[in-house]
Amino acid sequence: MWTSEHSGEAPDRRPQAGGHMMSPPRPVRLRATGISKKFGRRQVLSNVNFEVRAGEVAAVIGSNGAGKSTFLNICAGLISPTSGQVEVNGSVGYCPQVGGTFDFLRPSEHFVLFGRGDGLKRGVALARGNEMAALLGWSPDPKVQSRHLSGGTRQKLNVILSTLGGHDILLLDEPYQGFDRGTYTDFWEVIWRLRDSGHTIVVITHMLNAMDKVDQVLDLTPTGNERNR
Amino acid sequence: MTKMFTVAEMVLRDLARRRTVLGLLFLLPLGFYAARHDQTGQAIRFASLGLGWGASTAGLFSSNSAKSVEPRLRLVGYSWVTLLVGRLVALLLISWTIAAAYFLLIYFDQDIQRPGALAVMLALTAAIAVPLGMLIGALVPRDLEGTLVLIAFVGVQMAIDPAKDSAKYLPFWSSREIGTYIVDPVGDDYLQRGLQHGLGVTAGLILFAAVVTAIRLRRRKHIHVLTQPVPAGTR
Ligand SMILES: Nc1ncnc2c1ncn2[C@@H]1O[C@H](COP(=O)(O)OP(=O)(O)O)[C@@H](O)[C@H]1O
Ligand SMILES: [Mg+2]
Repeated sequence: MWTSEHSGEAPDRRPQAGGHMMSPPRPVRLRATGISKKFGRRQVLSNVNFEVRAGEVAAVIGSNGAGKSTFLNICAGLISPTSGQVEVNGSVGYCPQVGGTFDFLRPSEHFVLFGRGDGLKRGVALARGNEMAALLGWSPDPKVQSRHLSGGTRQKLNVILSTLGGHDILLLDEPYQGFDRGTYTDFWEVIWRLRDSGHTIVVITHMLNAMDKVDQVLDLTPTGNERNR
Repeated sequence: MTKMFTVAEMVLRDLARRRTVLGLLFLLPLGFYAARHDQTGQAIRFASLGLGWGASTAGLFSSNSAKSVEPRLRLVGYSWVTLLVGRLVALLLISWTIAAAYFLLIYFDQDIQRPGALAVMLALTAAIAVPLGMLIGALVPRDLEGTLVLIAFVGVQMAIDPAKDSAKYLPFWSSREIGTYIVDPVGDDYLQRGLQHGLGVTAGLILFAAVVTAIRLRRRKHIHVLTQPVPAGTR
């Protein structure tokens, strides 16, 4: 069940009630308040409010250049907003839309590097990485460097790296670009599993067919005179 | 500490796979050295400049290739100090290895009065070059701009009359002072001046690079963490 935002009218960017009407309210994991962002004189985000709780999946949608990546980067603390605050209750994992890996390192080396940062031992990081890869239908060739991975596989690596630390909040920027159909399904299976174990997932997406199952949608598509920027 | 070693390890693995780069790094000083082979003093100074150029270019490219990943590594729990020091250590190791190779080459190939000073000169050049490259990498947006800045530095360094006062403002000035000390029977003051200048430049460059890195990877003020995240190992 996904709510209101697509009525065609000016989108209301206030947080939605969330999908789990029956259960008692879970703790808020991420709350963005009054987020505005200008690049030079260009207003990309204006007064965006957003709130997700533990055990929820939120989709961020919007046309190209609507500011989805910018919004996620602000939530991750990678760039500063022009105004607004973000409250974070828990640890954050982030998967970028592009880049984010070292061309000349192998997937296993990425697992170790990122896992170490998350406080995992080498062996644990490798095991977790391979486990996650298997869930996405991938068994990394031990010799291949990440620059030789196909676009979709590289994106799998990116997703895995963001989940290694078992973070409470996952911010995923168009993670399934280049995924084939099977992987796409596997990916959502992983997401639902994470949600059911209490994680919070915010995912940027164009794929409206996944929307029937997400708990809330944030539409950043500019309206009225903000359009055609 | 272990995180720092992990960063250093990955920088080394990354560089080790770029065979052409490594090969060129080894060969670059050789070209400079061969060009002035018949004049011992000049040959040494040029080999040292070649080493400096190679090592700083490696520093530049290495820190630029990490630029898009480092904010992410910061997010998973690496501090900016760990990221900076890990890369610095790895690049110094490689540069000092090359320096050691050139020490042996020059030691057996030339008539050297003070081989200890030769070792100091080469090690110091590498120590200046690595943070110089990393700093330029941190300041410019892309490799191309950085390379042009480096070419400007080294070009001016080679063209300028080292006796001029203004030559002191260039990063590798110390190699001329110590170079003179290596081949000519001059007093210890040459070595001292060179060491002071070289160590000062190294420290200054590292400090400057640290400031730039700290700013780039700073914690943003708009983020308020309500509960301290649990370390992943225990999750
Ligand atoms: N660093 C930047 N400097 C200037 N403009 C930027 C920068 N990053 C993004 N933009 C602009 O902000 C707008 C939103 O970008 P982005 O958040 O990447 O959009 P989306 O992810 O929704 O496609 C785009 O018009 C883009 O050109
Ligand atoms: Mg985007």
